[in-house]
Amino acid sequence: MELNTENYSTHISQQFNEELEQIRTQLLTMGGMVERQVHDCIDALLNGDAELAEQSRKVDKQTNDMEVMIDEQCTTIIARRQPAASDLRLIIAVSKAVSDLERMGDEASRICRHAIELVDEGESPRGYQEVRHIGNLVREMVKDVLTAFARNDTELAYRVAKMDKSVDQEYRSAMRSLATFMMEDPRSISSVMNVIWVLRSLERISEHARSMAAHLIYLVSGTDVRHGSLKQIKKAVRPEDGDA
Amino acid sequence: MTSEAKTHAIDISSMQRDNRVLNLADETIALEVKDLRLSYGDNEALHGIDMHIPKNRVTAFIGPSGCGKSTLLRCFNRMNDLVDDCNITGQIMLDDANIYERSVDIAELRRRVGMVFQKPNPFPKSIYENVAYGLRIQGVTKKRVIDETVEWALKSAALWDEVKDRLHESALGMSGGQQQRLVIARTIAVKPEVLLLDEPASALDPISTLKIEELIHELKKDFTIVIVTHNMQQAARVSDYTAFMYMGDLIEFGVTDTLFTNPEKKQTEDYITGRYG
Repeated sequence: MELNTENYSTHISQQFNEELEQIRTQLLTMGGMVERQVHDCIDALLNGDAELAEQSRKVDKQTNDMEVMIDEQCTTIIARRQPAASDLRLIIAVSKAVSDLERMGDEASRICRHAIELVDEGESPRGYQEVRHIGNLVREMVKDVLTAFARNDTELAYRVAKMDKSVDQEYRSAMRSLATFMMEDPRSISSVMNVIWVLRSLERISEHARSMAAHLIYLVSGTDVRHGSLKQIKKAVRPEDGDA
Repeated sequence: MTSEAKTHAIDISSMQRDNRVLNLADETIALEVKDLRLSYGDNEALHGIDMHIPKNRVTAFIGPSGCGKSTLLRCFNRMNDLVDDCNITGQIMLDDANIYERSVDIAELRRRVGMVFQKPNPFPKSIYENVAYGLRIQGVTKKRVIDETVEWALKSAALWDEVKDRLHESALGMSGGQQQRLVIARTIAVKPEVLLLDEPASALDPISTLKIEELIHELKKDFTIVIVTHNMQQAARVSDYTAFMYMGDLIEFGVTDTLFTNPEKKQTEDYITGRYG
């Protein structure tokens, strides 16, 4: 049975409605915070804005607290309400999604640290083009996966999974060109290494966004696509298409 | 598949709980219901039920009050024959024979398909005599056979240790939970094939309820069990298969794990998640 999007307010227990609605809202609030973190860390890096990077790192503490709080509520709901079917899947999906969000926050925080180091080194190194490009893709993925959660939109989740594949390709090609830079100019190694760490973090964020997309598809369709191929995800999202 | 076996140091599939791999198509069928219709007077209570009850499994019937689940359960040993005005069409096959044939001996049918009710109903006799009753009716007279069967039944019902020193005291002095286990012992003493449980734990405290549930789990090795329960968590805990009924129709029937995590029908989803229908 597919999830009915307007279904959280129809329980006989009004309290249960509120509890489920609350964890959903909190997930999206936390999502908003992490989206901001991801946005800021890329801006801070590209614009050499150490102050923004410092600020953004402080937010990470809050996202950590948020993760713990939402998870606690999930545990309480399981203990008190014994949720079943789509309610149970909501709890499980939210609990897993918050871990992904928290790790995205950690990666954003790591990017900020490299941004500060790069500012300290002064000179803007090569590889920013790649950061800008992959950064834009990743920002869009984070935004889309949160929208997908807000609307229970599996098509959008599928799009996020597809974008993760493009990010992987871009990441590999960026690694090749950065390796070439380092061979051409060994003096740039330390700063290029910073850029490599940044790209690595961006790639991780993209991976977590894809993982969140899989949790949403599980929530809506009941199919676990975590380690599935794009084709399997598509099948879960559009069962009517069949195997064609 | 061989390459996969090589890459995994451990066999993950062996770690899954065994009933994960349940599949109705692979089961031996104990009871087969074919287009069963039942009406009380002009009022049709079951609108053509088709289902298979798998052997040596626990099948739970859930659904709101008045959906027909107890009525259907009572059809399995023709308890509804006792109701005036009750009209039944269709078939229920037990070992390839329709239990609604005229030639069926109802007493023998009820021996093969035993039933336990919501409220424990021990006879006002001793604990021993309660369990021995069915055997005596069957004409068993050898004391040794009766003694052995009583002990086996009480042990199977997880009651032996609690009552072995007072077998000849009145059954009415037992607690509700003990009485219900005694009634189960009485039912299984005659070695039925199918055990019908109509809300067996709804009048019991949580600990007694857990004991009954544990007992159900033990008994499914030897019996096919069908349980009606209002308590959905109980259905989820004890059963291998669950049937959801609504207004005299069988809405959904499937593996319990699937039905409680991802039901196919909206009505099932609404019921098990506690929503307005």
